[in-house]
Amino acid sequence: MSRLTASMCGLALTATALATPAIAQEDAGKETQTSRTFWGVSAEKFEYRYSDSDEELAVIEGDAYYGSDELKFLWLFEGEWEEAHNAWETLENQFVAQTPVSDFWDAKAGIRVDTPEGPDRVFGVLGLTGLAPYWFEVDTNLYVSDEGDASVDFEAEYELLITNYWIVSATFETLVAFSEDKEIGVGQGLNSTEVGVRLSYDLIDRAFSPYVGVVHERKYSDTADLARDAGGSTEDWFAVVGARISF
Amino acid sequence: MNPTLKIAALPALVLAFASGAHAAGSHGGGHHGGNVIGEPGNAGNVSRTVEVTMRDNYYEPESIHVQRGETIRFKVTNEGGLVHEFNIGTADMHEAHQDEMQMMVEHGVLKGDHIDHEMMNMDMGNGHSMKHDDPNSVLMEPGESREIIWKFTNATDLEFACNVPGHYQAGMYGDIKIDSTVAAKDGAEGESDSESVQ
Amino acid sequence: MNKGFLLTILAGLLPLTLLAGEYDISVDRVQIDTGDFVKEGIGYNGASPGPVLRFQEGEEVTINVTNNLDEMTSIHWHGLILPFEQDGVPGISFPGIKPGETFTYKFPVVQNGTYWFHSHSGFQEPNGAYGAIVIEPEGREPFRYDREYVVQLTDKHPHSGDRIMRNLKMSADYYNRQQQTVGDFFSESAEKGFMVTLMDRMMWGDMRMMKADIEDVQGFTGLINGKGPEQNWLGLFKPGERVRLRFINSSAMTYFDIRIPGLEMTVVQADGNNVQPVNVDEFRIGVAETYDVIVHIKDEEAYTIFAESMGRSGYARGTLAPEDGMTAEVPELRQAPLLTMADMGGHMDHGGMDHGDMNEDDMAGMDSGDMAMGAEVDHGAMGHGSMDHGDDASLPEDPFYAKGSGLVPTASNGGKFLSYSDLKAQKPLYEDREPTREIELRLTGNMERYEWSINGTKYEDADPIVLQYGERVRFKFVNETMMTHPMHLHGMWSILEVGEGKWNPLKHVISVAPATTVYMETEVDAPGEWAFHCHLSYHAASGMFRKIVVEGGPDSTVAEGKLSGKQGGES
Repeated sequence: MSRLTASMCGLALTATALATPAIAQEDAGKETQTSRTFWGVSAEKFEYRYSDSDEELAVIEGDAYYGSDELKFLWLFEGEWEEAHNAWETLENQFVAQTPVSDFWDAKAGIRVDTPEGPDRVFGVLGLTGLAPYWFEVDTNLYVSDEGDASVDFEAEYELLITNYWIVSATFETLVAFSEDKEIGVGQGLNSTEVGVRLSYDLIDRAFSPYVGVVHERKYSDTADLARDAGGSTEDWFAVVGARISF
Repeated sequence: MNPTLKIAALPALVLAFASGAHAAGSHGGGHHGGNVIGEPGNAGNVSRTVEVTMRDNYYEPESIHVQRGETIRFKVTNEGGLVHEFNIGTADMHEAHQDEMQMMVEHGVLKGDHIDHEMMNMDMGNGHSMKHDDPNSVLMEPGESREIIWKFTNATDLEFACNVPGHYQAGMYGDIKIDSTVAAKDGAEGESDSESVQ
Repeated sequence: MNKGFLLTILAGLLPLTLLAGEYDISVDRVQIDTGDFVKEGIGYNGASPGPVLRFQEGEEVTINVTNNLDEMTSIHWHGLILPFEQDGVPGISFPGIKPGETFTYKFPVVQNGTYWFHSHSGFQEPNGAYGAIVIEPEGREPFRYDREYVVQLTDKHPHSGDRIMRNLKMSADYYNRQQQTVGDFFSESAEKGFMVTLMDRMMWGDMRMMKADIEDVQGFTGLINGKGPEQNWLGLFKPGERVRLRFINSSAMTYFDIRIPGLEMTVVQADGNNVQPVNVDEFRIGVAETYDVIVHIKDEEAYTIFAESMGRSGYARGTLAPEDGMTAEVPELRQAPLLTMADMGGHMDHGGMDHGDMNEDDMAGMDSGDMAMGAEVDHGAMGHGSMDHGDDASLPEDPFYAKGSGLVPTASNGGKFLSYSDLKAQKPLYEDREPTREIELRLTGNMERYEWSINGTKYEDADPIVLQYGERVRFKFVNETMMTHPMHLHGMWSILEVGEGKWNPLKHVISVAPATTVYMETEVDAPGEWAFHCHLSYHAASGMFRKIVVEGGPDSTVAEGKLSGKQGGES
């Protein structure tokens, strides 16, 4: 963990150093009239999962950002804490710079550091994130690991307003690998899908929105075999309860 | 608005005028409204001349005292930059007349600082026109000066008012206080008792 | 008569000799209690709103502003014609007022009417730093009244300005609680048919635009003179009196539709300039605008001043009554309007993915300057004319809204709703003349990113607009966004083109509705550097802002004979 913390700090410092000259070199006059830099911290998912095979997980997925309209620096984090093993089943930290490429789309580039229980990996990341027609929020990334393996993930989310406070969000995530990385349980081809449906209520503005939901996870082909070999499951249904948090 | 459209709209306006005038009796002379507000006076009976100045958008003076039965010559001058009316009537009559004036504006007869006389005097073929020529009122462009001779036969309190849309509501009216007992002496008063601009 | 004449002369001389008022204003941290919540904010002389400053036309005012905050501040005298160093915009007119410092403003008052003042630093204004200015005229007013009240409206939000800005940047619909829901879909399906409704949602979804995108920042409490609807601001009157109400919209983001059920209002002034009186039942006041109305109250009843936000997400309420304790019915909020395809204007040609360069392409279409485009889009291109509005024939029209716009206001009693086209100057200030040139300003933005700009460029990336002293510039506003923008030019009058020549009204804020083109002309008669921006706080702060530089003029030694070369950065 200490190695992770150190690398995180290093990246954060680099990010700040990069941000400063790019954003704050205008004359003082203009600065007083417009807001130039912004920040935000949010956890899209902060939840407890209970599976149909009595597995218990704590899941957090979120980001923190600082930057301007033109250039943002993000720290994206995603972790799955497995109760039974008392360990991080997944732990990803991404540090990326993000910039608009069209009205609704941003490109991002950076690195991803995976430090779960088991072997670690560092990836280069190139991604595209934005809003597709019909209000689908899309995020897709190409990863190349320090082992030379490449993979692509794709995430989409759609929010359905039951009322302006009760919101159903449907999510879909998938991972496809171009080559096998047995050590971390990645097979070639379609790896996995995760489909979730969550019903949330905006309790405090959009800052705190508790939710309940159902998540279905499935692993495919080679990846499924790898999971089976490791004694894991290849398909799970979860009941989830949690909250969306945003500062 | 092009001319064709204007003309097409005229008959409706004339009709509205006719009915409006009768219903409210706002156009005095000869009609039933005449008795309430008085009647056109005879130049020979004029007891005094009251000078009224129109400004934007108020009169000087804003109050006039007359004696019942008195015949007054009103010398009205428009020293403002806009078209104004001087109309003798009751508050209700003015209110009714304002709807007609609103229509004159909407039909382009009455512009801010001038009157389309050609349009106003146009003969509509059946004896109707939009002439604004009732004896109890004058409608004047900036710089114009006109006279009205009026005999106040009743003791009803009247107002002189400008019914160009919005002007009355903005305060362009004055009181005519008709005294049936005191002998008339000073007609016009320099300062009004109703004026109370802060 | 002679005595009166003498008095007039004396009264005329007084302002010249005696009128030099000194005023002290402190900028303080204050508590703002809206009745719904209490919020720390910024005020003047210990309160928000600050004091009503009463000036006399012709007066030379000295105003000492002491900054008791721990941050920089400033005061901008909104709508006042004054030397640019006194205009109070940090970074343009002066550096600002440091914490603990007292800055002395000094300028002659050369106009009369209703105005206001506010901080031009950060989000101090939405946080409460505003007050009213009333300037008595040298001569008599062109109207009469027995009593007057300032009615200053604002949209106090439980969040601070900084937080609102940040939340909007994170999620542009953060505060929008009027979005269309599943329930709306089904009720609309029942009414208009499933496929029609589905197609409608698909079209809007395809553009990633929201019909309900009318008020960016909801969740505020509307205040009148600092009082929330429950606290009910009271204006007393005696039956028979004519009351002048000086409406000032000091909101950060909110347009209000104002009515006083049971009373007709006569609009006599707009943005401090007298207009030819117009009788109305209701009017819309854009952010930073002022309207003075006169009401004649004949009976001994109470009347509600009801100011509904344009998007119907909130309201301000006050009462006019002959005695304390009397109230009148408070109307229900009317149904929230929805934008129509007509309000989309420029967005329509690009149903697909690429909106990147829409600004350039669309100009050809917009250039015709009229609003027929919206109609064309509705009925022609889309082929779903009945979708947004089944009964076009009965739709109200106003040349200052796109044809078929969902924002066209109507009076709740079916009567007269004020339009910009009703505004005519009471007395023209300038001679009417041909403008020397035209500058096109496209109001641009990206709602999803909450970025706002002019000609696609934000303030920090833009060159100033350079004007030459003595010219008359025609500004062409082309609103390519689906928000309404109240554009505010400092230091010089905005002469709104309503097609009345010399009677075109003088304003300091020109509200430009979505997908419309609006013209204003400016007599460039004030040398120096001025601010020009959308007065929606979070639009201005996002970049919908420009500096205007006026070159030449009486005080300038440099600019003489330099008129030939430079053109404005935007032309």
